[in-house]
Amino acid sequence: MNMSDAWVLPLLPAAAFVVLALFGPYLPRKGDWLAILAIGAVFVLTFPIIADFTAALALEGEAFAGVANSIQWMEVPGHLELNFGVHVDGITIVMLVVVSFVALMVQVYSLGYMKGDARYGWYYAVISLFVASMLALVLADNFLLLYFSWELVGLCSYLLIGHYSHLRSAAEASKKAFITTRLGDVGLLIAIILLWRETGTLNIQDIIAAAQAGEVGREILTASVVLLFLGAMGKSAQFPFHVWLPDAMEGPTPVSALIHAATMVVAGVYLVARMLPLFELVAGGMEMVLAIGLMTTFLSATMGLVMTDIKRVIAYSTLNSLGLMFVALGVGSPAAAMLYLFTHAFFKALLFLGAGSVIHATERQDVSGLGGLWSKMPLTAITFGIGAFSMAGLPFLAGFWAKDEILVALLENKIAFAFVLLTLPLTAMYMMRVFVLTFLGEPKEPEAHEHAHEGPLTITVPLVLLAVLTLVTGFVVFDQVGRAMGFPGGIGDVIYLHGPHAFDFNVAVTLGSIALVATGLGAGWYAWVIRPELPASIMARLQPVHALFANEYYLNNVYQAIIDHVILAGARVVAWFDRNVVNDTGIDGAAYSTGFAAYVMKFQQTGKLPNYALAMVIGIVALAAVAFFKA
Amino acid sequence: MQTGYILLATIALPLFVAMLLVAVPSKRADLVRYISIATGFALFGLSAYAFFAYQLATADTYQFELQWTWIENVGFLGKDGITLHLGIDGIGAPMVLLTGIVTFAATLISAKIDYRNKDYFILLFLLVAGVFGVFTSLDLFFWFFFYELAVLPMYLLIGVWGSSSTFATFARTKEYSAVKLTMVLVGASVLIFVGIFAVFVEAGIGTFDLPQLYEVEYDENFQKVVFPLFLIGCGVLAGLWPFHTWSPDGHVAAPTAVSMLHAGVLMKLGAFGIIRLGMQLMPEGAEFWMPMLMTLGVINVVYGAISAMAQTDFKYMVGYSSMSHMGYVLMGLATMNAVGVNGAVLQMFSHGVMTALMFAMIGVLYDQAHTREISAFGGLVKRMPHFVAFFSIAGLASLGLPGLSGFVAEFNIFLGTFQTYPALGALGILGAAITAVYILRMMAQAFFGEENEKWAGLKDMSRYEYAGGALLLAFIVLMGVFPSPFVDRIAETVLNIPGVS
Amino acid sequence: MEAVSQQIPLEHFLVLSAILFSIGVYGVLTRRNAVLILMSVELMLNAASINMVAFAAYASPEAFTGIIFAIFIITIAAAEVGLALAIILRIFRNRGTANVDEVNALKW
Repeated sequence: MNMSDAWVLPLLPAAAFVVLALFGPYLPRKGDWLAILAIGAVFVLTFPIIADFTAALALEGEAFAGVANSIQWMEVPGHLELNFGVHVDGITIVMLVVVSFVALMVQVYSLGYMKGDARYGWYYAVISLFVASMLALVLADNFLLLYFSWELVGLCSYLLIGHYSHLRSAAEASKKAFITTRLGDVGLLIAIILLWRETGTLNIQDIIAAAQAGEVGREILTASVVLLFLGAMGKSAQFPFHVWLPDAMEGPTPVSALIHAATMVVAGVYLVARMLPLFELVAGGMEMVLAIGLMTTFLSATMGLVMTDIKRVIAYSTLNSLGLMFVALGVGSPAAAMLYLFTHAFFKALLFLGAGSVIHATERQDVSGLGGLWSKMPLTAITFGIGAFSMAGLPFLAGFWAKDEILVALLENKIAFAFVLLTLPLTAMYMMRVFVLTFLGEPKEPEAHEHAHEGPLTITVPLVLLAVLTLVTGFVVFDQVGRAMGFPGGIGDVIYLHGPHAFDFNVAVTLGSIALVATGLGAGWYAWVIRPELPASIMARLQPVHALFANEYYLNNVYQAIIDHVILAGARVVAWFDRNVVNDTGIDGAAYSTGFAAYVMKFQQTGKLPNYALAMVIGIVALAAVAFFKA
Repeated sequence: MQTGYILLATIALPLFVAMLLVAVPSKRADLVRYISIATGFALFGLSAYAFFAYQLATADTYQFELQWTWIENVGFLGKDGITLHLGIDGIGAPMVLLTGIVTFAATLISAKIDYRNKDYFILLFLLVAGVFGVFTSLDLFFWFFFYELAVLPMYLLIGVWGSSSTFATFARTKEYSAVKLTMVLVGASVLIFVGIFAVFVEAGIGTFDLPQLYEVEYDENFQKVVFPLFLIGCGVLAGLWPFHTWSPDGHVAAPTAVSMLHAGVLMKLGAFGIIRLGMQLMPEGAEFWMPMLMTLGVINVVYGAISAMAQTDFKYMVGYSSMSHMGYVLMGLATMNAVGVNGAVLQMFSHGVMTALMFAMIGVLYDQAHTREISAFGGLVKRMPHFVAFFSIAGLASLGLPGLSGFVAEFNIFLGTFQTYPALGALGILGAAITAVYILRMMAQAFFGEENEKWAGLKDMSRYEYAGGALLLAFIVLMGVFPSPFVDRIAETVLNIPGVS
Repeated sequence: MEAVSQQIPLEHFLVLSAILFSIGVYGVLTRRNAVLILMSVELMLNAASINMVAFAAYASPEAFTGIIFAIFIITIAAAEVGLALAIILRIFRNRGTANVDEVNALKW
């Protein structure tokens, strides 16, 4: 299995999708094994590809730019050639590992979690397509395949978020997710076409090379970068497109894990990381990414603080993390962003699957109905805790290393640095809060607590595996670890595209961040464990602020108002115009005026012979006169 | 084996069956049904054969040619005056295939017609013969003859088998819609008629044979004057704004299969006419007028999409959506470059199958529920999972989801448009986003959410409907995943159209 | 004996025919009685016949085309009178009048 054979990877789950979608109901166990087999094979096949990659890296060193392989899809001879092709380089390898492993965990987990679901087979079919599209997305060597799979990822998230189709809320949430991301996709598509127009190719590497060679006009390049980023913002739920992500938890919990950790939302980060050379060429390009990232990080941290739904809290933590990744990209450090993406995938999947375990056991997901589950579900509590504290940035967990990497990268930019520091204690605090309210204290609903129990092995094993990874993956920052795993020069060398880069370690920054995280965790512990009545009184005193956070800055209301009162109202005006002006006045009007003309003219038909005779005579005289004068 | 008799058969067979059905006693409704479905299948087979046996990279511009002299060397007619000249090029081939597909699906969907089904099928086959005739004729006289033959049966089909609707603020009777449709289309065809004679006289070679007329160099000013006649005349049938209103109203009033044929193939006749008569006959006129067509096309797209968003009736929504998507065809044609025109022809095919599928599915629902109010439904997926799957895939194709036919076509059109009109191209892409809004709103409202108890008795598709829908669906997916068979045929011909760069 | 064409110039016949024709037109336009209108029409037909014959005699004496046409006109006039009188008779029987102003059933 060489790198150039990587096209097999997305085809395996895609084939599983086709079989499951067409014949799923006739297969034993509705074919769940087939889906797991496919993704398992992908995971296994990733390793020979990594081996091939490290071999190539060792051989060619820095000059190695990846391997590409493509076939023709359609062609207008001499004018347009559309290809499907794969391109494997460092970023791709990281994404392959993340996607295949998390997807495998999620699918195994779903065996237990989704058991007895009315559309169990369909669920596995769609999740296979989801993984296939995401794999194709990260492997794509050209914008056509990228956009192709980009949209399919959107479709699959639509189908999965709306999986519980009998719920109105799920239907609305899936619609919202699809439409919101599609608005961003308009930008992406325009950007792709603009770049094609300028360079005559859709190949990503060629486009980057052409842009760096200055073959793309400045205005066009600026426009395409902004539009490209629009697509990434939509997919990665960046402010102001972030509204769909919290609602997306209407889907089954394993799906949330997949969407938040490995597929869908990280696609935007991947795209920006991949196209970062273009952003660097445009004045203000990086600043735009940075500003949006900061905005998202800060807003989501405040909103996460007051949410009461366990999944919603985690959803906001994802926004928080995605914002951080964009911040890292915005200061030109894709290595830090990709490292964060890599570690984030494991602990975020862990958090969601842990939350799923809780929901599975108690059938509740609002913290007001949980509490005291530590004793009933120790394994879930421990693994969830590991995920939560990793997210918070507790030292030596995966999130800690990755976050510090970003902070070091930010040192140059004081404002951004301060902003991110500000969000650290907030993040720590709300992760502590959700952990405490779920697992510690007195059970708030004894009945739910009574029935709580650990899930079957299919649920606990993925939790444990992900927890272990969350404990250890952070250490890949050390070059020694990377070298031990076979990557010459360490993992950073693999992820970082622009040449060798050793991961930095800044003692002052590390100590500072530890202090801030400890403050946040301590404040959380104090507020929800030692003096549980405190948060309520603070909330009461800061009612407007709380309302602002809890209502998500009223952005949803604003959007809804715009949709209802501007877009739909405008559409009704157009429809009215079409019916009453274009049709009833224009088309029918022409018919009526013909009718009216006929009505007027018919009175010439008097029925009196002399009138006709006179008309004839006048006519003949006139004709004769014409003939006479012409001659 | 290539023989013009294949094409002749696509025209003669429906005419023959129409006559045959006259002889079948009207009491034998089941016999009528079987004959019709068998004919539909035969037409599908013939057209699929014509499509797949079409050879790439040959010297012939037209394949499956056949030329029978009708009148020549009489009066103003010279040699080859009026001939029955049939043949297809790379644009005609997919259109013939499309007609075969939609016809077969329409006969399957029409199996449930009970009221005077003999008369219904007679008219339907007359219409189909006309459509095949237009796509295969290479003689202006017969082209126009078949064009009218395709339009006129619509009047009776809608007027007799259609349905009147009353909405909150207005009402549309089927008679009104039938009259409007026929009047507007026949009125527009007068322009074509004038144009045909203008070309005949200007060319001065005493023949209506198109390949010979293509050879003639027409005066530039003549082209500029006559081209709009074809553009508007054919454009009206393609749903050109602001002459589009016959189309949504016609769709709403028409019975299911007629809506399918109407949106699926009839509107393509207009776009096909713009290529065959307009662009191929007078490239300079086309070049002069194309900016206007581009503007109108974009208006079609955006205006149609916005109007569709406000509709509360399934059929009106799809009707406006259909108009919006024909706008993409017009945009593609107006680009006058190979990629754009290629995309336009692809979109003609894609729009044909996906709109036909949508109308077929609306028919499934309407025949059971007797209402088409979107908000009256909810949670249909529970009772009608296959129906929802089919309808959704058609909807997703129309919002341009990759892997389905709409994407391939629209992507080409956008690439073509951006080469010359980037701003208008961006508006076109925005139109695709608006499409997503109304399609997804409709799906969320009607298909998902709590089941509306009132509709607990609804059944999924019947076997006939399933077969018809699956056929259309297969081609939506085929073209979306594997567009080469279509693109290879189309691109070859498009590159030969004069004026296309 | 000299031919008529040498004694009287062509113009005389033409003027006669024009006068007859004008009288006929005047009659058709002003008369209200159907029978009188019919008679005026006959005058116009005769004016045309005179023209035909005159031109036949002056323009091409050896050919008979004009004269044949005159005979045609006479024949048709006879047939027409028969038909028209029959119609007028029916109208008179039905309506009790032959005044064309009162017979206006064929109007909007």
